[in-house]
Amino acid sequence: MTDAAIVTEKLTRRFGPLLAVDGIDLQVAAGQFFGFLGPNGAGKSTTIKMLTGLLAPSSGRVQLLGSDFSSHAVEVKRQIGVVPEGMGLFERLTGAEYLNFVGRMYGLDRATTRQRSEELLEFMQLADRPKSVIADYSHGMQKKLALAAAVIHGPRILFLDEPFEGVDALAAGALKALLGRMTERGVTIFLTSHVLEIVERLCSHVAIIHKGRLVAQGSLAELRAGTAGKEAVQTTLEEIFLSIVGQDGSGRPQMEELSWLM
Amino acid sequence: MADVAGTLSVAAQIRLVAELRWRILRNRLRSKNSRFDLIGLVWAAIFSSFLVVGLSFVFCWGAYFSFSTGRLEWLLLLFWSIFLFWQTFPIFIAGFGAAFEFRTLLRFPLSLTAFYLVGLAYGLADFSAIASICWLLGIAVGAGIANPALLPPVLLIFLLFVLMCATVERLIGSWLERLLARRRTRELLVGLFILLSVSLQFIRPLITRSGSWSSAESVLRFLPYLSPFPPSLASQALAAATVGHGAAFLLSIAGLLAYIGVFSALLWHRFAAQYRGEELSEAAAPARIAARNTSRTDASRDVLKLLSPQVAAVLRKEFRYLSRNGFLLVSLLMPPILVLLFSSQFGGRHPSVTRTGFSPEMFFPAMMGYLILLLMTPAYNCFAYEGRGIQTYFTAPVRFRDVLLGKNLMHAGVMTLEIVLSMTMLALRIGLPSAPVLTATIAAVIFATAGQFAIADWVSLSFPRKLEFGTMRGQRSSGISIWVAFGVQILLAGICTLILFAGRWTHSPWLPAESFVALAAASTAGYFATLDALSGVAEKKKEVLIETLCR
Repeated sequence: MTDAAIVTEKLTRRFGPLLAVDGIDLQVAAGQFFGFLGPNGAGKSTTIKMLTGLLAPSSGRVQLLGSDFSSHAVEVKRQIGVVPEGMGLFERLTGAEYLNFVGRMYGLDRATTRQRSEELLEFMQLADRPKSVIADYSHGMQKKLALAAAVIHGPRILFLDEPFEGVDALAAGALKALLGRMTERGVTIFLTSHVLEIVERLCSHVAIIHKGRLVAQGSLAELRAGTAGKEAVQTTLEEIFLSIVGQDGSGRPQMEELSWLM
Repeated sequence: MADVAGTLSVAAQIRLVAELRWRILRNRLRSKNSRFDLIGLVWAAIFSSFLVVGLSFVFCWGAYFSFSTGRLEWLLLLFWSIFLFWQTFPIFIAGFGAAFEFRTLLRFPLSLTAFYLVGLAYGLADFSAIASICWLLGIAVGAGIANPALLPPVLLIFLLFVLMCATVERLIGSWLERLLARRRTRELLVGLFILLSVSLQFIRPLITRSGSWSSAESVLRFLPYLSPFPPSLASQALAAATVGHGAAFLLSIAGLLAYIGVFSALLWHRFAAQYRGEELSEAAAPARIAARNTSRTDASRDVLKLLSPQVAAVLRKEFRYLSRNGFLLVSLLMPPILVLLFSSQFGGRHPSVTRTGFSPEMFFPAMMGYLILLLMTPAYNCFAYEGRGIQTYFTAPVRFRDVLLGKNLMHAGVMTLEIVLSMTMLALRIGLPSAPVLTATIAAVIFATAGQFAIADWVSLSFPRKLEFGTMRGQRSSGISIWVAFGVQILLAGICTLILFAGRWTHSPWLPAESFVALAAASTAGYFATLDALSGVAEKKKEVLIETLCR
C-alpha cells in the first residue's frame, strides 16, 4: 500500500509477564474511516497509546504518514489529533482556555487559535458556559471538548478512543457528519468503540484485536465474506465480531453458570 | 427469579463497615509505592499509643487529685480538653479530603435507623474517639481510686458524655462534608484554615507582650462562663455526685440529656437528608449562563512574545492554574507572614518587641534561605496538579524542555515576587544588610534556585504524585521526592553557609558575593544545559507519569 497513513510492523507491548499487544501488523490507507475493535482488555487502548506516542512499544515499528514515529516524533505529532482514553483535559481551565492552550501547543498563531476555538466551541454547543472550568462540565461535554481539541490544528490523522461515549444524540449526529466530511477531504480516522452499530455505520474498514493479537482486518465486505454461516450480505458487524472473538469460547460469558439469576 | 436478599442486623452491618474500612487501609498500603506510608503508619501507631496511654495516666492522676483534694473545678479542664480534642482533631487530620465516603453505603438496603446507628458507630472508630474514651476511662479509674462509691454515677456520666461527643463529632463531620463537597467552598475553607493556623502563631508573642494568661489558673477563671455547655455539665454532674447533691446531679444529667436530644435530632435531620439522596457532587453546581463571546480581533499585545508559543502557552496555563487554586494562593501569603512572624520574635529594630535582636547581616541571608526552603518544595512535584492533562504534553508536537521551561519560569516568577515582598518587609522591620551581604544573598538565591530546578525537574518526572486542588488530606509528595528535596536543600544551605563564613574568616566582605555570582552563572548555564537531557528523561518516564497522574 503506497498511500498508507498508518503502518505498524510487529508492534508489541509487554507489561512485565503480560503480553498486551502481540506483534500486530496494521495497514490503514489515507482517508479511511478505520474501526479498531476488541473485547475489554484485548489491547485496543494499548495499541492506540503506542500509535499516538503515549506509550513506547516493547518492540516493533510505528509509521505514520510515511514517517517513523520514534525518530520523527515531533513532526508526526504535528499531523495527528488524539482523543485519548480519559480525554487528557486540563480540568482547571475553561473550555476556551484549553482550546487556546492546545492551539498554541500545536504552533498555531494566537489569532487563528482564538478564531478556531470560538468556532469549535460554538459547533460543539459549549460556548454558553465560558466561565465554567472543565471540571464542572458533564462527561459528554468533556468528550466534545476533547474532540474539539483534537481537530483544532486540522490533523491528517485522527485517533479517537470511544469518542461518542456520553455525547448526546444531537451532538453525536453532527460529529459523525463532521468526521465523514473530514474523511472525504483525505483525513484518516482511527476509531475505537464498543458500540458496533456506530462502527458499522461509519467505518469502511475494520480490524479486530483479541488477546493482543490481530485476528481480522479488512473492509466490512471482506469481513462479511470471510464469515461462515449466514448470507454474507445480511451479516452484521456484531455477528462478525462475535463469531471471530467467541471462536475459542473465551470471548462470550457462559450464562449457564448464573442459573440462580434466571 | 433471583433470590430476595435477607435482612442483616445493625450489629452485623457495623461489623461489615469496620471490615470494609480495614480492607481499604490494608489494600492502600499493599502497593509498592506505599512502603514508606506503611513505615510511617507503624511509627505513628507506636507514637500514638504512647501518647494515648501516657495521657490516660495524666487524666487518671488529674481526676484522683481533684477528688482527693476537693479541687473539683479541675474536672472542668479535663472534660473540656477531651471534648475539644474529640471535635477538632478529626477536622485537622481528615476534614479536607475525600476519604471513604460513608454515604456510599446508602446503595445497600439500610433503614434510616440502621444508617444513623452505623454512622454513629463509624465515628466511634476514629482515633480521636478511641483516644478520648481511653482518657475518660483514665478519669473513671482516678475517680474510682479516690472514692469507689463514685463509680456508678461516673460511668453513667461518661456514657452520656461519649454519646454526646460522638453525636456532635458526626454532626460537624456531616456539615463539613456538605460544605467541602463544593470545590470553591472547599478551597475557601482550606484557605481560611491555613490563615487561622498562621494567625494562631501570633498569639504567643501577643500574650508575651501583654504579660497576662501566664498560668492554668488564669484559664480556670474563664471556665465558669462555659458552665451551660455539655463538658461543664458533665463535670458539674460529677462534682454534684461527689458532694452528694442529688438535685444538682439530676439537673446536670437532664441538661446533658437535653443536649444529646438536640444534637441527635440535628444529626438525624442531616442523615435523613443524605438518606433521601442529597446531591453533593460538583456537577450539580449551578452553571452560569453568560452571553456568548463575539469574535474579537487579536489586537492585544502579547506580553510573552519573546518566548516560543509552546513555552508561553505552558506559562499562561500555569498562571491560570495558580489563580484557581485557592490552597496554593493562600500558601503564597505564608512566606511574607512568616517573615513578619520571625522578625517579630527574633529580630527587630524595636527593643520592645523582644529582648534578643539579630543583625540584618545574619538575619537577612537566613530568612532568604528559609524562603527558598519553603518556596522550592513544590517544584519537586511540579506535575502534581496536571491530572489527565499530562497526556496533552505527550500527544502535542512539543519538546518536553519547553514544558519544563514554562513551568520553571512560572515558579521563578512567583518566587521573585515572594522574595521581593519578603525583602521589603525585612527592610522595613530590621533593615537591609550591607551591600556585599545583600549582593551575595541575591546571587546565592539565584544559584540555589537555578541549581535546584534541574534536580527538581528530574525528581518531578521520576517520582510524581498526583495532588488534588483545594484538598489537604493525603496531599503530600512522594517520600523519595521529599527526601531528595530535603537533602539538596541541606547541601545547598551548607555550601552557602561555608561561603558566607569564608568571607568573614578571610576578612574579604566581597568574596561571598563574587563566589555566589560565579556559582549563579554556572548553575543557570547548567540548568539550561540539562533541559534537553530532561526531555529524554520525560520520554522514558512518560508511562509512570501518565499512570500516576491519570489515576
